[in-house]
Amino acid sequence: MTAKTLLSTHDLKARYGDFQALYGVDLDIAEGEVVALIGANGAGKSTLLKSIMGLIRVGADMVRLDGRPVGGSKPHQMVADGVAIVPEGRRLFAGMSVLDNLRVAVDHAAPGRGDAWTIERIHALFPILKEKQAVPVQSLSGGQQQMVAIGRALLNQPRLLLCDEISLGLAPKVVKEIYQSIPSISANGTAIVLVEQDVGLAKSASDRLYCMLEGRMTLTGRSAELSREAIGEAYFGASHAVA
Amino acid sequence: MQWLDGLVQGVLLGGLYAQYALGMALMFGVMRVVNITHGDLMILLALVGISLASTFSLGPWSVLVVLVALGGIIGIILQRLILNRVVGADPLPSLIATFGLSIALQNAMLQVWSADTRSLPSDGLAQASFQLGPLFVGVLPVIVLITATVLTAALAATMQYTRFGRSLRAAAADVEAAAMTGIDPKAVYAGATALAVGILGFAAVFQSMRSTVSPADGAFQLIYAFEAVIIGGMGSIWGAFIGAMVLGISQSIGFRIDPGFGILAGHLVFLTILALRPQGILGKG
Ligand SMILES: Nc1ncnc2c1ncn2[C@@H]1O[C@H](COP(=O)(O)OP(=O)(O)OP(=O)(O)O)[C@@H](O)[C@H]1O
Ligand SMILES: [Mg+2]
Repeated sequence: MTAKTLLSTHDLKARYGDFQALYGVDLDIAEGEVVALIGANGAGKSTLLKSIMGLIRVGADMVRLDGRPVGGSKPHQMVADGVAIVPEGRRLFAGMSVLDNLRVAVDHAAPGRGDAWTIERIHALFPILKEKQAVPVQSLSGGQQQMVAIGRALLNQPRLLLCDEISLGLAPKVVKEIYQSIPSISANGTAIVLVEQDVGLAKSASDRLYCMLEGRMTLTGRSAELSREAIGEAYFGASHAVA
Repeated sequence: MQWLDGLVQGVLLGGLYAQYALGMALMFGVMRVVNITHGDLMILLALVGISLASTFSLGPWSVLVVLVALGGIIGIILQRLILNRVVGADPLPSLIATFGLSIALQNAMLQVWSADTRSLPSDGLAQASFQLGPLFVGVLPVIVLITATVLTAALAATMQYTRFGRSLRAAAADVEAAAMTGIDPKAVYAGATALAVGILGFAAVFQSMRSTVSPADGAFQLIYAFEAVIIGGMGSIWGAFIGAMVLGISQSIGFRIDPGFGILAGHLVFLTILALRPQGILGKG
């Protein structure tokens, strides 16, 4: 790995009130890299992304961007620093048009990043969004809404894009269409963290892979080199792997 | 004739009510924050304006400029100190916090200005009128209506077409998602509350030129503003304007049926619309 580390977490711990969800998680991602993050329901994948994004309070040194401590920054500061998220459940702005949803991201794009992504480019990537631009966003299908969520995050001009289960609940054909957009996103130099339930999809779309279990990292390695058995063990825990 | 006059006077009164209602349309209609001090802040601005006018012998238009700016500053302070702590999907915390503040404000105003009714000298504007066919129409109410229309159009365009308007709509739809898209929700809300209270600067000047104000009057402005926003439809700026017209016309016609029936007629029309079209005239769904 010659590329410079873009973002890293260090012994990241996170809690919801009394409930501890992350027990010291280490992850790093280099510029332009695609990293998959897998794990069973409740493993803490979304919590990890939310902690990076500043939606959950964490210690400053637990998250570093360009080596700089940024843990505990506000979400809007993270966006300004070049981190964007496609959140779990899409979280679009209901009541606003497709185009206005995208414009909000254009309005708040990370400064000094140029405009690699424009609304025209998003329309080229997902042509249906041009056709539907004046439509209230909540009237789109699930797949189309996911495209808006991805487009919105890209228009923040991120150096690092966090994607939380972008395939969830979508028809296989739509999942394929959305995953086909990943190479053109990383071709832009954008690093991507892909949280994914589908292990096969996660493996094939990524350079490296992390697996979480109950708030801890249980496996990491180059996606092409990890065996099914190793992943199964890390995914379900050693005790379950024999079953 | 009497009914035509009632209609025209009602529309003119609606212009004043629209100035109460616009800030409420932003805060209650869009942000879902219940600000019980809405009317009290208008009275506060009016009393400050009256005192400024007499102390520094300022004309009403100079007072207007000062009050709009002062309203903006009060709005930012209100949002930063109180409302940011209670903002969220549930309107109850903001209701309770501002209810307490409303009572404190009324008592403070009574201490400073006593319970006397006061008004702002209008350089004779409040008495001027002109003849429109068979009707006599006041110059000041016409200015109030034109101002209200321009303010409504400007605010609606701001919401629809500007970066600030999009940010505010986004934050109102999903505040966490807005933050994840780069919006600083606290800054946007402070801007919106500044705008809402700043608009009350217009209402304060016109209310105290047209009639009188005293420290306990805020409850009327508050309820008219709430009613106008609900009649028009939550979240719609032009809806609040239309709601204010409906209230003004109902009161004015009701007053001509029986002088004691005017205010009540407004409330009855409000309740009827709430029963028949709970989403409001321009509301969706
Ligand atoms: N807002 C919350 N309050 C309290 N506990 C939460 C909250 N969100 C998540 N948790 C808990 O934290 C743990 C990790 O949840 P998280 O959402 O990060 O898992 P995940 O790996 O993203 O799962 P999934 O695949 O279902 O999305 C779970 O036990 C979950 O119940
Ligand atoms: Mg999750």
